[in-house]
Amino acid sequence: MENILFKDNVAEIEAYFAGGGYKPLKKALGLKPADVIDEVKRSNLRGRGGAGFPAGLKWSFISKDAEGPRYLVCNADEGEPGTFKDRELIRKNPHALIEGMAIAAYAIGAGHGYIYIRGEFAAEAELLEKAIAAARAKGFIGKNILGSGFNFELFTHRGAGAYICGEETALLESLEGFKGQPRLKPPFPAIKGLFGCPTVINNVETLAAVPAIIEKGGDWYAAIGNGKSAGTKLFCVSGAVSKPGVYELPLGVTFRELLEKSCGGMKAGKRLKAVLPGGSSTPALTAEEALAVKLDYESLAAAGSMLGSGAVIVIDDSQCMVKLLQVLSRFYHHESCGQCTPCREGCGWIEKILNRFEEGRAGRNDIDTLYSVAEGMMGRTICPLADAMAMPVMSFVKKFRAEFEAHADGKTCAKAP
Amino acid sequence: MAFKLTEEFKTRAEKICAKYPRRDAALIPLLQEIQKETGYVAEEAMDALALLLELPYSRVKAVVTFYTMFNREPTGKYHLQVCRNISCHMAGAEGLLALLRAKLGLAEGGTTKDGLFTLSSVECLGACGSAPVMQVNDKYFEKLDEAKLSALLEDMRHGRLQH
Amino acid sequence: MPTITIDGKSVEVEKGTTLLAAAQKLGVYIPRYCYHPKLSVSGNCRMCLVEVEKAPKLVTACSTEAAEGMIVRTASDKVKAARRDVLEYLLINHPLDCPICDQAGECGLQDYYMEYSLARSRFKMADKARRQKRRAVGPHLVLDNERCILCTRCVRFCSEVTRTSELEVMERADHSYIDLKEGKALDNGYSLNIADNCPVGAFTSRDFRFKQRVWFLKKTPTVCLGCATGCLMEAHHNENTIYRLMPSPNAETNTWLCDHGRLTYKAVRAGDRLTKGVIKNGLIDLEPALREAGARIDEARGAVAVLGSPWLSVEDNAALARLAKDSVKTENYCFDFASEPGIKDGILINKDPAPNTSGTGLVKTAHGGLSLEELSRRIAAGQIKVVLAEARAAGLLKDTLKAAAPLLVIFAANKGEIPAGTYATLPYASYFETPGTFVNYQGLRRRTAPPVEAPEGVKPLWAVVNKLAAYSGASLQLDSAEDALKGIVFK
Repeated sequence: MENILFKDNVAEIEAYFAGGGYKPLKKALGLKPADVIDEVKRSNLRGRGGAGFPAGLKWSFISKDAEGPRYLVCNADEGEPGTFKDRELIRKNPHALIEGMAIAAYAIGAGHGYIYIRGEFAAEAELLEKAIAAARAKGFIGKNILGSGFNFELFTHRGAGAYICGEETALLESLEGFKGQPRLKPPFPAIKGLFGCPTVINNVETLAAVPAIIEKGGDWYAAIGNGKSAGTKLFCVSGAVSKPGVYELPLGVTFRELLEKSCGGMKAGKRLKAVLPGGSSTPALTAEEALAVKLDYESLAAAGSMLGSGAVIVIDDSQCMVKLLQVLSRFYHHESCGQCTPCREGCGWIEKILNRFEEGRAGRNDIDTLYSVAEGMMGRTICPLADAMAMPVMSFVKKFRAEFEAHADGKTCAKAP
Repeated sequence: MAFKLTEEFKTRAEKICAKYPRRDAALIPLLQEIQKETGYVAEEAMDALALLLELPYSRVKAVVTFYTMFNREPTGKYHLQVCRNISCHMAGAEGLLALLRAKLGLAEGGTTKDGLFTLSSVECLGACGSAPVMQVNDKYFEKLDEAKLSALLEDMRHGRLQH
Repeated sequence: MPTITIDGKSVEVEKGTTLLAAAQKLGVYIPRYCYHPKLSVSGNCRMCLVEVEKAPKLVTACSTEAAEGMIVRTASDKVKAARRDVLEYLLINHPLDCPICDQAGECGLQDYYMEYSLARSRFKMADKARRQKRRAVGPHLVLDNERCILCTRCVRFCSEVTRTSELEVMERADHSYIDLKEGKALDNGYSLNIADNCPVGAFTSRDFRFKQRVWFLKKTPTVCLGCATGCLMEAHHNENTIYRLMPSPNAETNTWLCDHGRLTYKAVRAGDRLTKGVIKNGLIDLEPALREAGARIDEARGAVAVLGSPWLSVEDNAALARLAKDSVKTENYCFDFASEPGIKDGILINKDPAPNTSGTGLVKTAHGGLSLEELSRRIAAGQIKVVLAEARAAGLLKDTLKAAAPLLVIFAANKGEIPAGTYATLPYASYFETPGTFVNYQGLRRRTAPPVEAPEGVKPLWAVVNKLAAYSGASLQLDSAEDALKGIVFK
């Protein structure tokens, strides 16, 4: 099927416009905001940042009677290891995002929007600035958009290096000029979000799908994919495949198809050992599990993992699972905001245990300690970062225990590069 | 070192503040502006910014120390930031880091005596499809290998890399 | 008004009540570190996790509002496991230096470990993160970052109560730590509350640390006399020595104590504490001092002035009024102290530095007397030969007294208070040593309770007045502080 998001040669506004771009915005502005929300609800579009929350439903939580300003925020703080789709999408099709934001803003009654983009993406931030300026020049952003009376100002805001800001309330804190520490919920952002006002936060990919939904209808979008997992998804594949990259495919595509058809199979001479199907935080699948699974919200949940951000990390059998887990634990330890006790202390503890394994200083009982430290972090913190550390730990230990045992009692890794 | 925000900076700051309904929301963008100008965020700069935005110093300092992209001391002309997270690790990031350590005679966090290079290892840069990846200042270098990295180093040494 | 069930007991609470508060209403204690009733809810320590039926995860009792029909469990296996785990996490990087920690005995980590854990740590000692050990931060506090559990009560106190925002958590993850600007002192007038608020031994009081193990301390509830606010507090003492003052939170006046008020107890054992009388500059026993002062008063009689004091209790002021009226029989007495009461800093410190301006008003109502202006005028006009006054009240007429130079007979507890040129000084028991009634700026009547005894030979002021009366005029026959109160009507 034809790509919805990942299109070639539409980066410039003229080309985007020539291909029918910004017509959906015009169409949306002719509808009632509630009808726009209904259309998105009908599409079954779900959040592409990781949580998979239905986008239309999220929009509908903004109270119609709320006084004062409302905000729309785009989460472009792409930081989940393995994830690189938003960066590519912004480069290829920035106006789909900008148009999607204008439509979403109209639907929820937001006069201001911010694109929070991770600080390292300086080039992409600049590219967005230019694209917004071009859209403004054409009257798609700014005052009285297309003569509708609707005003929408859109700004970019660069992060400064903190994975946690991908969590939506940490992002809001950061956008307000604070440390990116997640907020207690409730209140949820729809009630009390940016600057204390009702706010919707959506991922880049989610918002970029909106123009096509408005153009072709929610039913059309809902028919793509696999039931409740509607539409296409950007799968970003990294690791031991021949052709890593971002691939737009309908949800429900099998991992096997993604691997073999899109990615050209495994890298020469490499054998599949494990897959992290939705980013580094999602529980690992063994090769057998992966080759049997469909890539959508429900199928992956049923397989004991998650679709997450659609970041498919492919691990071959030359890799040491203990070493990889150490690499991941270093990351989560580095990125824990330090607020909640279990995450602040647990992430560091896990890294220290894994360091012991890697350095030949671990005992067999450390395997169980590792598991139970992770288990003790699950579901006990303000945000899911602790879970994001715990899930790979628990799945690695459960499914690849032999590799941990091979590291215990003074032994180190045979696979160390 | 006395640090004073220039009038030009203050004018620019007002423009940035205007993007937000509250001035203090401009704290991070303004710290980024300071870093862009001076290469790092000095204590005195934090004081000056706290004053400008009418914020407690502690908040500015907490923000600077929370976010990893703020340098608290001057870096070399080229800040080499090598990703070593999972996809880059599998693609050989450790080897690249070892190569840089050896060639530059540095450990992570160090700066060469000539002030040309600072070496850092960083976490995921969000370009895993083209691993291994290194960021030099603001610019990404992707699909690296040892040969490409060595050539890149030579370019930087001879000022052939746009910075 | 939702009704919820906690551990099988049902309770109806106001809308917006948290599970923690609802449990408290039922007498169910939920452990907590970061929660403080007077600070914003932060929810970071995760110690107060409880189970709510149908909720997918445990919830923090400090931040979850009661909703109709909620069924809450605070002692289920899940909750117990969570508490044990949180404690284990909190302790992994804690230095466990209890034997040399001044918090020992009132430490949240010790107490909860005994109550909710008792598990052996599985953490390797060598893996402990090190942080900065003790250092003075400001005149009143010592900070030990290694003991800190990052509950941020101190940060919130400085940002929400004093609004000085000196403190913040720097860095992130398990290398984060509390800090303030290098070279800056943490001295915001309320800093010792930070030591109280700190649930562990990270912030300790420079004044109190290592003076006494807390389990030896006895507690006496009393009133702060640092200003007209009249905060309730507790004196912690042992073997006739006060070691510290702590706030007794109450709805009427205070949750906290200011640093000034908290250190008022120091005067009791200060080096210049008066235990004897002073004539000119020479120390003499109380009896001869009284005799001398009494003789001077007796000589002057109609030209004697008696000045009450807003720093003295109602009882002691009343005794002075009786002395003037019934013993010396002079009309030159004054219990008229005007002030503009009200909280000066938005927290606790009163514009009126004296604790009993309202109380002296009651004495004035009962006994009459001159206005302060009129008394001042008479002194200036040379009509007064002897002035009998409490030291700080005499300070109110400083310039007049200096110019007219009447003979000064002064009540003082500490030498430093004695005005220059004083002829006779009579010591008296402080209100840490004798009870006294005070009326604060709101009109609340509060009574001090003595945690310690006065030094040998030092008597309450009313008793000194009673003796003085015998030397200077008619006897008053006061047998107790209450005797002096005759005729005083409390509102």
